[in-house]
Amino acid sequence: MSTKVVLGLVLWLVSRMVLALDTPQSTQSIFPSVNSHTKSQGAVLSVYGAINHQAIAPLFKAYQDRYPEVTIHYTEANTRYLYEQFLSRPNSRPDVMLSPAMDLQFKLANDGYALAYDSPELSNVPKDSHWRNELFGFTYEPIVTAINTDILAGEALPQSREQLLNLIRSKNHLLDDKIGLFDIQQSGLGYLAWAYDGQQSRSYGRLLEAFGTHQARLYTDTSAMLTALLKGQIFIAYNLVGAYAYQWSQQYPWIKTIMPTDYTSIIMRTAFIPRDARQPTLAKRFIDLLLSPEGQHILANQSAITPISTKAIGPYSREELSKLPHGIFRPIPLGLELLIQTDDAKKQLIYQEWDNAMQPVPHNASSVSLP
Amino acid sequence: MAKATTSIRRQLILMVATVLIVINAVALWSAHLYANRAAKESYDRLLYGSALQMAENITMLDSQVFIDLPVSAFETLALSTSDRAFYAMMNGQYQVLTGYKDLPDIPFTQLLQQSNEKEKFIPIYYEAIYRGERVRFVALGKRLLEADSVNDVFIIVGQTLDARRAAATEISQMALQFVTLFFFITLFLLLFVIWRVLQPLQVIKQAITERSPQELSPLEANVPSEIAPLLKSINYFMAQLDNTLSRLKRFTAEAAHQIRTPLAGLNSQAQNAIDETDDVLRQKQLQHILESSNLLTNTVNQLLNRATLTHRYQSHPFSPVLLDHVIKDTCRELVVWALERQVEIAYVGDIQVTINGDEFALKQMLQNIIENAIKYSPKGGMVEVALMLRKELPDTPIVLQIRDQGVGVPDQDKEHIFEYFYRSPDNFTSGSGIGLSIAKEVAEHHDARFHLKDNQPTGLIVEVIFPQRKGLSYEH
Repeated sequence: MSTKVVLGLVLWLVSRMVLALDTPQSTQSIFPSVNSHTKSQGAVLSVYGAINHQAIAPLFKAYQDRYPEVTIHYTEANTRYLYEQFLSRPNSRPDVMLSPAMDLQFKLANDGYALAYDSPELSNVPKDSHWRNELFGFTYEPIVTAINTDILAGEALPQSREQLLNLIRSKNHLLDDKIGLFDIQQSGLGYLAWAYDGQQSRSYGRLLEAFGTHQARLYTDTSAMLTALLKGQIFIAYNLVGAYAYQWSQQYPWIKTIMPTDYTSIIMRTAFIPRDARQPTLAKRFIDLLLSPEGQHILANQSAITPISTKAIGPYSREELSKLPHGIFRPIPLGLELLIQTDDAKKQLIYQEWDNAMQPVPHNASSVSLP
Repeated sequence: MAKATTSIRRQLILMVATVLIVINAVALWSAHLYANRAAKESYDRLLYGSALQMAENITMLDSQVFIDLPVSAFETLALSTSDRAFYAMMNGQYQVLTGYKDLPDIPFTQLLQQSNEKEKFIPIYYEAIYRGERVRFVALGKRLLEADSVNDVFIIVGQTLDARRAAATEISQMALQFVTLFFFITLFLLLFVIWRVLQPLQVIKQAITERSPQELSPLEANVPSEIAPLLKSINYFMAQLDNTLSRLKRFTAEAAHQIRTPLAGLNSQAQNAIDETDDVLRQKQLQHILESSNLLTNTVNQLLNRATLTHRYQSHPFSPVLLDHVIKDTCRELVVWALERQVEIAYVGDIQVTINGDEFALKQMLQNIIENAIKYSPKGGMVEVALMLRKELPDTPIVLQIRDQGVGVPDQDKEHIFEYFYRSPDNFTSGSGIGLSIAKEVAEHHDARFHLKDNQPTGLIVEVIFPQRKGLSYEH
């Protein structure tokens, strides 16, 4: 048994290679079936997601413990890229779509691309964490700000957006080119969090102005932004997904993660099974695992992502999360309200506003390439 | 024995249940229709509200249509938590400015008409299949005014029907629960009412069952006015029964007495005859014994006749009887017996009459009347038997008269003469005192009226008047 696991691990390591899907914007990993006898004719479950490989791997392992004959192909990419690929390449749709960009996921489900599935595990999760029986939220993650404490120079760590603005004001030119943001035109999650800020807070306009004046750098993925933060290329990273930021701040003590105390947006990573999934049964089993107490437990422990279920226990459980300093938790509702985030006219307005703020200094307007 | 028809209780319950089921079915159906309409209207309003909020945020800015959709419009739609929603904003040239570009069945003609009429835009509701589901849409126009240019934009918002269906089902379910509850409560109440209404019948039944067979006094029970006639009928019937029974008792006692007295006479006469040594006297006494015995035989015969007739009334149906023939036959049979008493019988009448009746009984009646007339006729007297039609009276009844020239019957005795064993105090003729009673019974059995009248200058007329009826014929 143990040799099998070791063999599987070795195979996994060997097969963990970067496969170009179309552009280098996505990476594909293969988790081969554990059962060597059926390796050749085993079924393949194809999963597209915007979740770190390390975070999702424990779930795949648990899945293969349950169904050893299944090989899993995992394609990791940016949320907007996943969304666009889904629409533009109908022949290579996955069996499961995982993404934190709730609006994009919702739009696909609303437009009828999702398969209805009455998972028996839905009773484990809150009622408002799924829409119809098509879109399933499985995590509960705060949108946070990460700060490289080097910039503070003895000043107190800002806790709210107001204090963050004060810090930016006081540091002024020290922060030129030193603030990191998601490029809302490239990252679905970045757009969602930013547009939601627009609905929630009066500090939105002043933040945008401050980011513009200080020529904020734009990123398309979290790890690039966190790397830049770690290296001191930027000192403030605004609107990050909590899970990764917390991991980094545990690893590197000079990086502090704060949940703004005025309000803390909460996003759910959602999953759905495309209507034209090739392996709907395998996909349904994956959804079951994701929502099951076991899956939620894995998230709260091995994946380091806060699960949606309040019952899951672990260092990253909702209970632990609520012990950290935070403001009002404002979960982004998983419902038709999300449609406005996908509205073209609205998007153009927000883009325009964004561009207007970011453009005054032309030399820094475009996004910084990945490290 | 009367056969019981279907029980009133069961009929009532059946009818009540049928009516209730019909009413409740109608109520359910209307509730269902109402539920559908209510759900439709309320969700149409939400849809319209959402479209209005979108419309409000469409403006003209520098000759450009400027759209900034409000979250609230989508929050309104999100009130139906499990429905998909679709929307599109179009300019006057039907180009989609934002939203879904392939919405089906947009009512362009109606929108264009509203647009051309320059009237206020009214919402247009319609349903269509979109992305595999039935969707309810509202189409709404908005006129954008800027300086001297007028532009119309159109807002289409649609939503799937799950929430409406759920709401309609919920209302229907509530109605179903209410109707079911109502049904059982009403049924229970009505069953109670039926039981309560039929209770007096039970009371009467109980009262009758508890009585001894001899007790025939009126039932005393408090019953509703609808049941009172029944109780009255029962009481009337019991009074009749009581009357009949007491008559029967009297009759039995009287009959026993009537038989015992001649028997006692016979006994003593026979004793005397044994003791008598004089042959002539003994001869005379034996003669008396014979007469008494004849009289007794006569009485017993009459009693038997009456018994026979009573039996016939119940067992023999009527058949056509040639009445004039029967009368003539009877006269003929009695004429010899009459002549022995020096009485003549004359038959007067030239009509032929057929009535429905019992020939044997009629003959008994005639015999009894005529015999009676002969008996009371003086020597050399004449008994007239007349059959005629009273054309002067309505319905021209058939009248039979037996007229004698005897002493007649005083008026005070006329009422009693039909009582069994009644003998006029100053009547010394032998007779059973039962003949006329039987005659009267037979007449009444044939629905005929029986009268006694005085003859002129003296004597009695017995008149039997048969009513003219259908199926009864006569000829001259």
